[in-house]
Amino acid sequence: MKTKDEFPAINDRKPDGIKPDGTPYRIMVVDDSMFVAKQITQILTSEGYNVVAQAADGLQAVEKYKELYPNIDLVTMDITMPNMDGLTALQKIIEFDKNAKVVMISALGKQDLVKQCLLAGAKNYIVKPLDRKKVLERILYVLNK
Amino acid sequence: MRVEYINPFVESAFNVMKEVLQTNVRRGELYLKSTSMPVMGVAAIVGLAGDVEGRVLFDMEKNTALAIASVMNGEELTAMDDLVKATITELANMITAQAVTKLHELGFRFDLTPPAIFTGDNMEISNHEVEALIVPMETPYGKVEINVAIRERG
Repeated sequence: MKTKDEFPAINDRKPDGIKPDGTPYRIMVVDDSMFVAKQITQILTSEGYNVVAQAADGLQAVEKYKELYPNIDLVTMDITMPNMDGLTALQKIIEFDKNAKVVMISALGKQDLVKQCLLAGAKNYIVKPLDRKKVLERILYVLNK
Repeated sequence: MRVEYINPFVESAFNVMKEVLQTNVRRGELYLKSTSMPVMGVAAIVGLAGDVEGRVLFDMEKNTALAIASVMNGEELTAMDDLVKATITELANMITAQAVTKLHELGFRFDLTPPAIFTGDNMEISNHEVEALIVPMETPYGKVEINVAIRERG
């Protein structure tokens, strides 16, 4: 009979959300929908990420980013939101911190909008409906770049 | 109303609902409704503005809304609370956005407004000067009617 040592321990994989130094990546989730904010937060926390802030519109997002900086590693940003849309908020965050890692998450997948966001400094663009795998892969990719 | 506007809504409603509900969805026969019409109890609405103007209404019974929101959240939700409303609104938003993306590829230029949701009994919606086309979608959780009213600006 094989001993336990001969099997690879499947639970030894380090969760995506943990940095090489052992601390979690710090994320801000920006979305005006309570459902979407909850969905993204659940996906991220299940992989060990630390969701340090949520914002329900672009204005709040920019303010919170400035408050948290430099203790923030990545922002997920919705586009269609009241008060200030996500593209404008992205531009303001990049103005403040040109190395900011912002990933757009929107149900809109229009080519020119995606292009506009990437030109404005977004590091990736995820089109909804969201699935766990897609979100985790893109975010890890951006963090490792 | 031109049929080019409708197909992208039918397609995206079918695709998005199938994906988020992880179940089979069946499309019923399209039909036209004019003037005022009753709505079923929960109605999410998304406005369209640009080359064309109009709105898309997602209409369903309260029990259907609760069942759909429960599946999308992975937990049983039994009251029409803020989370249920946000979930149904997001479903409407995803379907409309995917349709707008397709229409954009076909050369139509317009945007959508953040969605709103109405709940209540004996509600009715009136549309002057524009006919609404209804796309009924049958799900195991009940029927969702997608009610599209679009007209060209002019």
